[in-house]
Order: sequence, then C-alpha cells, then structure tokens
Amino acid sequence: MISVENISKYFNRQTILHDISFSLQKGEILGLLGPNGAGKTTLIRIINQITSADKGFVSYGGDLMKEKHLLNIGYLPEERGLYQSMTVEKQILFLGKLRGLTSKEAQNQMEYWLERFGIREWRKKRIEELSKGMAQKVQFICTVLHEPDVLILDEPFSGFDPINIELIRKELLNFKKKGKSIIISTHNMNNVEEICDRAILINEGEMVLEGTVHDLRQQFKEGIYKISFTGNMIAFANALWVGYEIIDKEIHSDDSFTIYLKMRQENKINDLLNAVIGHVNITAVEEVLPSMENVFVKSINAQNEIISE
Amino acid sequence: MNKIILIAKREIAERFQNRSFKWLMVIGPLAVLGMIYLFLSTTTSTNKEWKVLLMDQEEIFNAKLTANPPKNLNFDFINAFVDYEEFAHEERYQNYDLSVWINEKIVSNKKVIVSYRERPPESIQRQIIYLVERRMEEIMVDQFTDLSIEKFREIKQSLNFTFTDVYDPKNEKSTTESWVGFSFGALIILFVFMFGMTILRSVSREKSNRIVEVLLSSVNARQLLTGKVLGVGFSALVQFAVWTIIVGTGLYLFRQSLFPDMFSASLVADEVANADISYDLANQSPFVELIYSQIQYMNMLVFFSLFFIGGYIFYGSFFAMIGASMGSESDGQQFIIPLTLLLFISVLSGYYVVYYPSTTLSTWLGFIPFTSPMVMMVELSNGFQEGSVWKLILSISILFVSAFFMMIIAGRIYKNGILRFNHRLKLRMLIKWTKK
Repeated sequence: MISVENISKYFNRQTILHDISFSLQKGEILGLLGPNGAGKTTLIRIINQITSADKGFVSYGGDLMKEKHLLNIGYLPEERGLYQSMTVEKQILFLGKLRGLTSKEAQNQMEYWLERFGIREWRKKRIEELSKGMAQKVQFICTVLHEPDVLILDEPFSGFDPINIELIRKELLNFKKKGKSIIISTHNMNNVEEICDRAILINEGEMVLEGTVHDLRQQFKEGIYKISFTGNMIAFANALWVGYEIIDKEIHSDDSFTIYLKMRQENKINDLLNAVIGHVNITAVEEVLPSMENVFVKSINAQNEIISE
Repeated sequence: MNKIILIAKREIAERFQNRSFKWLMVIGPLAVLGMIYLFLSTTTSTNKEWKVLLMDQEEIFNAKLTANPPKNLNFDFINAFVDYEEFAHEERYQNYDLSVWINEKIVSNKKVIVSYRERPPESIQRQIIYLVERRMEEIMVDQFTDLSIEKFREIKQSLNFTFTDVYDPKNEKSTTESWVGFSFGALIILFVFMFGMTILRSVSREKSNRIVEVLLSSVNARQLLTGKVLGVGFSALVQFAVWTIIVGTGLYLFRQSLFPDMFSASLVADEVANADISYDLANQSPFVELIYSQIQYMNMLVFFSLFFIGGYIFYGSFFAMIGASMGSESDGQQFIIPLTLLLFISVLSGYYVVYYPSTTLSTWLGFIPFTSPMVMMVELSNGFQEGSVWKLILSISILFVSAFFMMIIAGRIYKNGILRFNHRLKLRMLIKWTKK
C-alpha cells in the first residue's frame, strides 16, 4: 500500500531521519516503535505530506504520494486536537467533508459510528463539555469516518481506560479483517505484541530493526526456558549439571515450582528433560521469548553503545 | 477549492457564533450613530448670545428689521462696508460674532454674505435668513410693487446667502472633504486590525489545541491559510455591510424624524412665516453638509471595499505569519507591537495627507501598501483630477500585488512554523522560513 524509500530529513544541520525505508502491506498492522525524539512523528508527518522529506520519497499503491492519496488515509496525531467550541456533530461532519465525503455520506457514517461507540446522545454537546476519553472517541471517529484504506495512528491508546482500549483494539482488528492497513506508532509494547504483525524500530533517526513480531522476539531470545514441576526442589537442582544455569524461580507451594533456566554450551531442551525426568514430575515446559519491550530496550541500548563508541 | 470553501465556511460560522462579533455588529454602528446624533444635536441648539453687525452702505434697510429678532440675536447697523480683514482683526469689531453685508445691488444680485468668527448653529442661521428675507420683502413691496406681501412672496426670488469664515474667507483651510476620507481610511485600519487579530487568534488557537495537524493531513498549508483569510475577511465584509445598513437607516431616520427642520426646506419655510425661503444646504453646518450632501457614498463604499480587501489581505498575512510561527501566545506579542505600530503610522500618514495633500511624501505614501489604504481614501475624498486617476489605479494594483506576495510568504512561514512548538520566535527564523 505505502512504500517509504530512503527518507532523510534534516533540521538545523541535525539529522532527524536518515535513510529510512520500509513498506506497509495490504491488511497489515505495522508497529512503528522508538523512544521519544527518535523521529517517529516526523516520519509519520512525511507520510501524511504534512512535512516534506529532504531526501527519498513515499509512494502509495505504486504512485508517488500526492495530495489526492491523502483521502485514502486516516491520520490520528499523538497531540490530538478538536475545535473546543464546536459540537461533536459539527466537528465530525466538518472533518468528514474535508476528507472528501459528501454531506449525506458524512451524516450516514457519523450515525453509524456514534451508535457503535454509544455516544449518540452526546452529538449536540460541545467538545469542551466532554471528558478526555469521550473526546478521544470523537477523534477516533473523525479519523475513520471516510473509511480510509490506510490508518496512521500515533499513540492511539493513550488517554483511554482499559475498556475503551479494548474497544479501539477490536475496531483496529476489524479494520485489518476488512483488508485495511494500519501503522501504529506507540510506546505500549503490549499492544504491539497483541495486534501488530510487523514492527520497525527507529532510534536517533535510524531504522534499527524491522521484522515480524515473532521473528524479532526469536531474534532476541536468550535460550531461557520455563519449567514447571511438582516434587523436590533439591532433587531437581541435583539432577542438573553445569550445562544449565537457574536464573529465577517461583515457589507455588512446598512441592510446586516454576524454574527459569538458561542453556549453556550446546545443550538442548531434550537433554534437560532427560536429566530431570525421574526426579520430579514436569507439568509444563516452554521457551521464554523476550517481550517486545525487552527487544526494544536491548536494541536501543545496543545502538546507543555503538554510537557512543 | 472545495476545501478552501469548507474552511472559510467554518471560519464564518465560528465568527457568527461568537458573541463579541454579534455585539460589535450592533453596538459598533449604534456608537457611530450616537456620535453623529451628538454632533447634530450640538450644532442645532445653543444658548449663546450672538451679536450681529449689519453692514448696509446704502441704508437700504434703514437700520431696522421687520420682525423682532429672538433674544439671543442682537443686531447693530452701520452704513459702511467692513472688509474681512478689518472685521477679523480691528478691536472695535471684536464684540461681533457675525456680520451681514447688504450690498448696494442686493435688489438685483440677491446676494447676502454672512461672515462669522465661529460658525453659528442652524437655528441662528435660519433666524438671520428669516429676518433679512422679511425685511427685504417689505422693502421690495414698498418700493417696487403694489402687491401685498403675501402675493409678492408667491412670485419673489429668494436671496442667496453665503456663510463665510472671516478668518478663512477663501475657504482655503477647509479640510472637510479630506476628513471624510480620513474617517473611511481609519475605519479600514480599524477593521484590518480587528480582523487581523481575529486571524492571529484563530491560527494560534488551532496551533495550540493541535487540531491543525489533523487539518494538515487533509489540506495543505496554503489552502488552510487561504480558507481562513477568506472566511475571516468575508465575516469582516458582512460586519461592514451591517454597519452600513444600520448607520444608513439611522441617518435616514434622523433626517426624517429627529431633525426634520434641519434638512427640509419646506419645514424651514414654515418656520419663517410661510416665506418661500430656500437656501443652499451646503451653507449649513459643515457636519450636516458632510453627512447629507458631501459624501459620495457609492464611490466611497466601492473604494472602501477595494482598499479594505487589499489592506486586509496584506496586513492579515502578517497576522497569520505571527500566529503560525509563535512558540507560545506571549511569544507573539513582541511581533504584534511593531505591527500595531505600522497600522498606527498608517493612520498618522492619513492625518499628514489631510493637511499636506500635494507633497511628494503624500504621493509616495499613496503607493506604499502599508499606508495606501488610509492615504488613498483621503485622496479619494478630495477627488482625483482628470489625468491623475492613474495614481488610484497604480495604488490599488501595488496593494493587490503586494497582498498576493505577502500571502505567498505567509503561506511559507505558516507551513514551516505551524507545527513548531515551545520555541522562541526570532526574526532570523522567520526570514529563513520564507526561503523554504
């Protein structure tokens, strides 16, 4: 759908973005990750044609991105704003028409979304009278009203309570089912793990990582396994030899434990199981993959070390 | 274009929902009418005693008047002619407020010149006219006809009165026309400032509540700015149109009901005992003359609109630039002050041109877009002589071309500055943004 190719942006002789390239496929949810000041918002603004790139280009459906393509994009910026003195209804209709809908289309779409989000009775209220969460819902409606093929959402879950986070999450998955593509810029790694198919990580204006969420977690795994068993803890520890290192344990009762251990040398999980079977009753075994948060922190630290060297 | 119209329509709707805009629409013209009413009231009534020197060289009046003058009018008769210079400066005439010259050929030329130190109010002027006319009727009937005074009135030719300032008999110092233009020019500057500030506030509000980023994902910066300037400008024109209608209606009502005697020749005639006295309205108070006979409203309104539109876009671009580029609301103040100063200089230049209309500086001020809306309104009210209309055309052209270029520059600064926050605005920064 969207292809970002070799984008660079400079400001006051400082590199904000350097040679960023990636693409967004149809029906895909892409997580755009990075610490504060990494250049995510600048990149999103370049995709939305709000800011121009100093180098590189953005294409949409194979064509160089132009103003007409913006009608196919729904953008929810991080710093959300609405006209405070306008009513919910007028606000939605205005932004809908600005994104190419006719009055009738905007009206129909508005009815649908107000009903869906259960805020029909708030339509005549001015934005300044709404709670923050309610205003966030209105902003989300304004973003999706024109049924865009691509959604670009900057921190879409911030400001929402858990119930509304779930509501938005479900809506995003519905959009995905309909074949829409979504870019989510976020700090919330749980969301990335839950709904993103792929993620890219930007730090100091450079793209540090790119891949599917599964691949990235695999890439950063450290050979840690989680074994739950019943029996004697000492018997379990004695059964192990130097090829394994216990790094953490959870005691559930006198004879129920979960152990986190790391493989050393060339050892495999089967070797471990062979060593302990007969000494304890194993109830569960699984490989521990790093969370996206760990992936994020490790990558950033690794890159910062390279830069400082 | 649709997007520009949408943005403009939203701006218009916001203005019309704004209470201060609606209040201004009513209170503004009523304040203007109130001031006019005050002027008209003060020029139509006075308790002052007026001393009149009636100069009758040939003693045509025989040192008497037919009717008794009112208490506040005292006539002295002399059988000599006192010229303006003597009447103005000689000590023995300093007690007199007015002189009425009954020239030796009054029977044939029908001319009466009334000179004054301070222009008398309408009621005093009417009384003088009435008294002189009545005496003249008496003399004419007595000397030239057998008709009764009533019959003679039906066929007589009225006297022609001229009221002259004794200190400026050639009317050289008259700047009445210029002040009409000055008023219109000052109104342009007032509207430009008011609605320029509206643009600034609108831009900075969109910036501070961050809706601008949502808008910019659907429209480009230039469309957004153009829509905003058009919307606010249209609201300003509607505001002005409402002012025009209310003030126009008010002036009509003044003329018809509150001050009918001041304007109606027939009513004046009633007051002077049915005498068929008609005198030129232009000889009345300069303010009445200004309001009801001198201002070429159509002409002034057309050029007011043109210079307002040009001046508004030109100055409005500056206001938009400041609104878009300021890091915080207080940050913009440092640039609003010099801009306000420029508008003030524009008003001063209008004042200068009122008194020095023919200088080279006045000509240049008429072409500089910062001052031309003000200066050209003054020039317009003085009238353009044949062959110098090119000045008007050139001035409008320069203003509109400058406004166009300012919009382009404002668009660049708007684009570069609208998404910058919490910085300290510097002139260097603005100049840099104009180049991108």
